Amino acid sequence: MINKKMPVFAANQAFFKDATISSVLFTPCKQVLVADTLENSYNETIKSNGGKAVTMKEILISAKNLKKEFCTGETSQTIFENLDIDIYKGDFTIIMGASGAGKSTLMYSLSGMDRPTNGSIVFSDEEITKYNDDELAVFRRKNCGFVFQQIYLLEKMSLMDNVLTAGALCSDNKKEVIERAKELFELVNIPEITQKKFSTQVSGGEAQRAGIVRAVINKPSVVFADEPTGALNSNNSAAVLNVFTKLHREGQSIIMVTHDKKTALRGNRVLYVRDGQIFGDCALGNYVESDNERERKLDEFLTEMGW
Amino acid sequence: MGKIKSQIMYNLKKDKGSYISFGIVVLITAIMLNLAFVLMFQVDKAYDKKFGELNTASINVTVPKFQNTDTLINDIKALNGVTDAESREAVFAEAVVKDFRATDFSMNTLFYNKDEYRNMNRLDIKEEKAEIAENSIYLPLYVASFGEFGLDDEIVYEIGNTKYTFKVSGVAEEMQYGNYGKGLMGAYLPEKVYEKFANEYSEQTVVEYSIITSGDINALQNDISDLLEEKGIAMITSCDRISTKDTRTMVCNLIILVLSAFAMIILLVSVFLCKFRISNSIEEDMVNMGVLKALGYTGGMIIAGVILPYLMVTVFASMLGVAVSYGILPSLGELLTLQAGFSFGLVFDIKGLICVVTILAVIVAFFTYTAAKRIRKLQPINAIRGNGEGKSAKKNYFPLDETNGKTKMLLVLKQTFSNGKQNILLFGVSFVLTILVAFASTMFYNVIIEPDNFISTLSEEMPQIIVSPNEQYEETVSDELKSNSEIKSILKYTVGTINIEDTPVTIFACEDFGRVSNDLCYLGENPNEKDEIALGSAFEGKYNIGDSIEIQNGDISCSYEVTGFVQSVNYQGNVCEFSLEGYEGLNSEKLVPTLYVYLNNAADTEKIVKEIEDNYGDKIISVMNYQKMTETTQEMYSGITSVIVVVIFILTILIVLFVLYIVIKTLLVQQKQELGIYKAIGYSNKQLMVQMIGSFLPSSVAAVLLSSVLGLIYVPQINQFIFQTIGAIKNNMEVSFVFLMIFALVQITANLIISILLTKPIKKISAYALIKEN
Repeated sequence: MINKKMPVFAANQAFFKDATISSVLFTPCKQVLVADTLENSYNETIKSNGGKAVTMKEILISAKNLKKEFCTGETSQTIFENLDIDIYKGDFTIIMGASGAGKSTLMYSLSGMDRPTNGSIVFSDEEITKYNDDELAVFRRKNCGFVFQQIYLLEKMSLMDNVLTAGALCSDNKKEVIERAKELFELVNIPEITQKKFSTQVSGGEAQRAGIVRAVINKPSVVFADEPTGALNSNNSAAVLNVFTKLHREGQSIIMVTHDKKTALRGNRVLYVRDGQIFGDCALGNYVESDNERERKLDEFLTEMGW
Repeated sequence: MGKIKSQIMYNLKKDKGSYISFGIVVLITAIMLNLAFVLMFQVDKAYDKKFGELNTASINVTVPKFQNTDTLINDIKALNGVTDAESREAVFAEAVVKDFRATDFSMNTLFYNKDEYRNMNRLDIKEEKAEIAENSIYLPLYVASFGEFGLDDEIVYEIGNTKYTFKVSGVAEEMQYGNYGKGLMGAYLPEKVYEKFANEYSEQTVVEYSIITSGDINALQNDISDLLEEKGIAMITSCDRISTKDTRTMVCNLIILVLSAFAMIILLVSVFLCKFRISNSIEEDMVNMGVLKALGYTGGMIIAGVILPYLMVTVFASMLGVAVSYGILPSLGELLTLQAGFSFGLVFDIKGLICVVTILAVIVAFFTYTAAKRIRKLQPINAIRGNGEGKSAKKNYFPLDETNGKTKMLLVLKQTFSNGKQNILLFGVSFVLTILVAFASTMFYNVIIEPDNFISTLSEEMPQIIVSPNEQYEETVSDELKSNSEIKSILKYTVGTINIEDTPVTIFACEDFGRVSNDLCYLGENPNEKDEIALGSAFEGKYNIGDSIEIQNGDISCSYEVTGFVQSVNYQGNVCEFSLEGYEGLNSEKLVPTLYVYLNNAADTEKIVKEIEDNYGDKIISVMNYQKMTETTQEMYSGITSVIVVVIFILTILIVLFVLYIVIKTLLVQQKQELGIYKAIGYSNKQLMVQMIGSFLPSSVAAVLLSSVLGLIYVPQINQFIFQTIGAIKNNMEVSFVFLMIFALVQITANLIISILLTKPIKKISAYALIKEN
């Protein structure tokens, strides 16, 4: 999606080149047809258009006219203004941008963790900008999972307890929650013995993978990840990213902030934030390991964005 | 100092609220301690100064004038240790002061000639009228202030059948008698008034010998007794400097004791608080401390930076507390003057200030150092990496996947066990404070709900009405009253004075101690037979139960067997009990006992008193509404007790507030990130508040309940200790379990409300801000 005020860049054109249908991008309705690759076939409806397969995507989050301003004493700083954005169900959306561009602020605003100064955010038909703190908390527990760069596991608890603490919010069936937690731990490759350890007793990668399990334990609509590999070494980063890819392939919507190109390759859509706007929007298609074409496409996009 | 100044300022700014709370607790401690110290340093000194200024005698004895001899003064002066002696006449009367604090007050009184020259036992006239009336009287300060008599007021002394109305023309301070506790008061009449009065009571005229000694008072008292016995002279009254001072300063000493005890308890709380805060701030500031060490700061410098803010707060708060206490001292001084019977201006005392500041500073320094000394062992690199100590949990309490129960409940339990220090602090503080509340609630119960328990501990036999019949109508009046359906029973009871071992002793004689309502006998039994006696607590140790004692009253001497020991708050244990028959044996004349009247319904007292006055007229000498007197006394104590209970309760709630403030503030700081994580994953403010309160409230609730239940054991011991110091070896104070529980519930409710209010800031914290800050 391109902001109407912005010029259309080559990167966008590249994006459109791969698209089967591009004109519906700006359709302000809940269900839109967007260009995507056929592998991304988990979306709701597949329709035929001129003999080509197209995917009808469902808007999960729709933000209109967003403004975020930070006030410190008498000075204020506008992070973004008049920002519109739609996030689609099933997408692995990457938000990139220079440091201080407002990537994380935008992501946390969309998740209901932070409040925009102005504008509205509709998340699965609910206008979350109208919610009070407790309503937002209830909303978050049902719809959002968070993965942080600093991991932020509760230090006084084991990895398993961290996960169950979140799980208890949405289900009273403790047995069921424990079963799901164990399955997820298996998915992220954390053995039982490690599950009983504190976050300070495991590697950063293990802790972050436990953080992902915590984020998805309640089957959230979206997992929000804020530079989840920022504090990890390359091995641990790869392991963590593999988990995200696995989740995405199983249909999990993910929004991830990163400034790492390798990480960004895991997404199927890349948004670039600059000057308080969505400066560029690139459809990469779903992640395939060692896909040079995707990498080239992302490189081109980022170059266009001034990366 | 310069090197750690920035550290001190950083600590002070960072933890403002906690330092303020700590400072307020120290301030309360300092107020109490300084009050205790000023009283301790000044009252005793003021007493001795006044005693010296008025050249008060060490011992005062009175003998009947008709037995006195001209040579006795020289004989007394010749006794070993006597430095000076003088004599004067006075009239001794067992009087009843009417309308004394709206009741009738029985008071042995010595009426003196005010204008007679006195070298010893001088009077300090505090106020007087310029003109003297024909019935003028100068009252001692105690009678005037406690009895609420002002200049020009009328005061009625009832002596036997006669009522004397005097006009108050002056108030005098004297150090000879002082207050009611000695059972003897003075009254001072202008010369002409005295002469007239003494003429009427020539038989009761006594000669008082005032004796100053630099030696052993007890030895001299024995010598005087021996001398009088040798000469066949009876001793009517005897007062010595030591017992008088003890009596007059009893309440003051009690207040010093209570204030010191309370101050120590609160000091204990403040010490808990600063230890708790320091160990938490070490954990919070571990990285900063590591950085400082890496920069070259020594452990000692960092420790000083941690301790000094507490010491500065302690010194400042204790000085402020001392200053505030001087605002309270005048009122306390007035209250004590009322009881002690002499006025003293409590002035600024540098010693008090030094003691308070030093004691508090040393104790706080010691405890803060013990809490902070582990900083020395902190390795900079470990601290910077956050591996110092304590921050990470060592044990995973209640693993959620392995423990049965609701996850949310288990989370509360996890937090409770993970925050052991704060729970120990809250448990300790709540337990200690509940001791105060349990004591206060028991006082409240016994003084306001069941006042008889308190009054009967302090007083002797308590009928509703006391009737003094004329000798010839004693049986008639007694029989007729017995037949009155509204009267439950009549008891013949007499109060008098005799000498035991040359010490004037108040006696209680009763026809049947099995029917008395009092519980004075704390050891052994009351006397039932005519040859039995129960002695006052002052004689315990000298005699044992079963011993025989020879008692002489004038020419009559009888032997009695000691059956038990009785207590008396009013007479310093110088009392004894006889059966009526037994006491009659000591008297040559027939005794006319008073009739103690017990009613079916105490509310009818006023009506029955009126009926007795109307129906018996000349057949009785007097009728006293004792119920009213008891109620007046009770009202006075109720007032004081209510104030004490309210003050203790407010103090407790205040301290709980400050402690909870510090604990919750610490938790909010320590768990800021944790709370942010909880909020991020969807926990609501309400859930987090409940979780936080749930993690510490159980420990304080458990402490309050446990302390309240244990109150059944320790409150009687506290009461025993306190009442014993004022002469009530056995007290009738009951500990009501229900009442302890009611006060415990009030305390728990207050804790809960305070906790809810203090955890409310959780609402203001946004999950995003918490995460962004880290």
